Amino acid sequence: MSTENTLPDYYFTINYVMFCLVTHTNNGYYINMKIVAGIDIGSTTTKVVVMCGHTVIGSKTSSTGTNCKKTIKLLFDEMAEDLAIREDEIQYSVATGYGRRLIQANEVVTEITANSKAAKWIMGKKTNVRTLINIGGQDCKVIALDNNGIMVDFAMNDKCAAGTGRFLEVMSRILEVELDELGTLSERAEDIPQINSLCTVFGESEVISLLSQGRRVEDIIAGIHKSIAKRVVSMVKKVGVREAIFFDGGPAFNRGLKKSLEEELGVALHVPPDPQITTAIGAAIIANERLEKIQKNNKKILH
Amino acid sequence: MNLKFHDNLLPTLPIMQELPLDRVIGITSNIPIEIVFAAGYIPIDLNNIFICDRLSYKMVEDAESAGIPRNTCAWIKGIYSAAKVYNISNVISVIQGDCSNNQALMEIFQSDGIGTIPFAYPHSKNDYKFLHKQLVCLADSLGVDYKKAEDMKRQLDIIRTKVHEIDRLTWEENLVTGEENHIWTVSTSDMMGDYTVFNERVLRFLKLVKNRKTVQSDIRIGVIGIPPICEDLYSFLSTIGAHVVYNEIQRQFSMPYHTETLVEQYSRYTYPYDIFSRIEDIQREIKQRNIIGLIHYVQSFCHRHIYDSIIRRHIRVPILTLDCDRPGRLDGAMRTRLEAFIEMLGNSETEISVTSRQYIQGGHIG
Repeated sequence: MSTENTLPDYYFTINYVMFCLVTHTNNGYYINMKIVAGIDIGSTTTKVVVMCGHTVIGSKTSSTGTNCKKTIKLLFDEMAEDLAIREDEIQYSVATGYGRRLIQANEVVTEITANSKAAKWIMGKKTNVRTLINIGGQDCKVIALDNNGIMVDFAMNDKCAAGTGRFLEVMSRILEVELDELGTLSERAEDIPQINSLCTVFGESEVISLLSQGRRVEDIIAGIHKSIAKRVVSMVKKVGVREAIFFDGGPAFNRGLKKSLEEELGVALHVPPDPQITTAIGAAIIANERLEKIQKNNKKILH
Repeated sequence: MNLKFHDNLLPTLPIMQELPLDRVIGITSNIPIEIVFAAGYIPIDLNNIFICDRLSYKMVEDAESAGIPRNTCAWIKGIYSAAKVYNISNVISVIQGDCSNNQALMEIFQSDGIGTIPFAYPHSKNDYKFLHKQLVCLADSLGVDYKKAEDMKRQLDIIRTKVHEIDRLTWEENLVTGEENHIWTVSTSDMMGDYTVFNERVLRFLKLVKNRKTVQSDIRIGVIGIPPICEDLYSFLSTIGAHVVYNEIQRQFSMPYHTETLVEQYSRYTYPYDIFSRIEDIQREIKQRNIIGLIHYVQSFCHRHIYDSIIRRHIRVPILTLDCDRPGRLDGAMRTRLEAFIEMLGNSETEISVTSRQYIQGGHIG
């Protein structure tokens, strides 16, 4: 199973250098630093983020596979080696995602709570995120935040893979195109066909039919993006379109899908540098908050 | 009534294999059971037979095999199978004020040789004349003097008052769980087919709960919409720290308002009428019971799902719409949605408590 560092190089390097400067003494031990982990076990991909204080110092992703415990172990082993830390130095962990209860973490939160936390943290005070669109492997969520970044409402797709990453995966397989090429190819679309099926299975038949009619692959991909965008936007409208809108989850890497969503909404979307790990970042932030609170309470007891 | 029951703290069905079938009348929804009892018959809610069955999931599949379309409400399929499995020979079907599927179901029963008695609520809750005519018609069909049904109302009202006390103990004193509240109130639709045994159980339950510890939760929620088909909704909500203090439709089954006559009682019962009467009731109870969020339970393929948009327009507390198809346990996505909703309500009330899980020095993962 291959894993990868998912943060942009500059992000990782700067934070890691800062981490090393702040935390390492000459003999390699840490001085009173809070190291926490956020683990997002999604239906398709598992993401792990390690934070030191308020800084992300590392992240790893891997396909979830059939044994998520094994996947997590592998990710943590690699992370421990990269960051030169021991696993038992992680003082608090929060798990989220579909598999959140399958592993032993200090706490579990839903991906909706973790995602809200991350969006606010990543965008900072300058951009007041009020709506969050997250497209995952098998679900799609729209979350409304209040002015303080507290989740006030959400909508989630129900019993259907249409409008999710899975829909894109199925379509890329039929079109014999790599998943990460979809965005670039859709930018070359000329005559976008309408894809009406709301169901992944029927959508597949519709795409095959378009191919048999000789329609260009680029055009079909743009049609697929538009179909997903329409479905997602109807969910956004249910919750309310409030700017700024944050867009994350693996499919947010897809520029064509982002463009289609922006066209349907009539609003620009904010996509973070690595949209796939934001929920894991949120879990790590919550872990850090919990740890701070516990340490504060312990101090009170000692005094 | 001479029905046989297994001993239990909460209401249960009679022992089905020993039912005196010639006296049993199946009901497809809440109907004036006063008339049935007064006529000496045993009303058994077919919904209860279906949902309490160990093989309720199979009952849905069997109904599909018998030709009821897959994209039809699972309650309809369950009612159909319940009548067939237990050889129910007479059914009172609600043909107005519930759903049109019930009307079609009545005709399937007819074609299968099951005796059916139609009962229609009026379109308007103020159409007392129509309602009275329906009540008298039902009494005539069962061969009982309508006045006897009014007498029976007064008897059942005394029992219902005790169920209302269970409801009060749920929201005001936090002594009764949301699940117990659900079972007690939903069971008033047929009072176990034997109101004497039902009354005894209510009295025993009321005596027992007074010595209990109170439910500790600040997350007070209501469940609105038809009774949920999923088996573990209430237990799951309880494990994630929510206290259900209001079961909207189930409470309506218990006829929560003081009334003098059957006409008055069944015109104030909100379920068969327009959504606005329901909204008024929901708004009043949100305030009374200090509710901070609602779960709107909607049954897959049910026309009542459409009401969701109107409810959201009129109700100001956060609402989670939960759509479920078949009986069984909640799936992963439903659990995530419920958990996120309760987390959201918790966050808005107070900062999330860290005491729920033990802090372990040097966290262990994997």
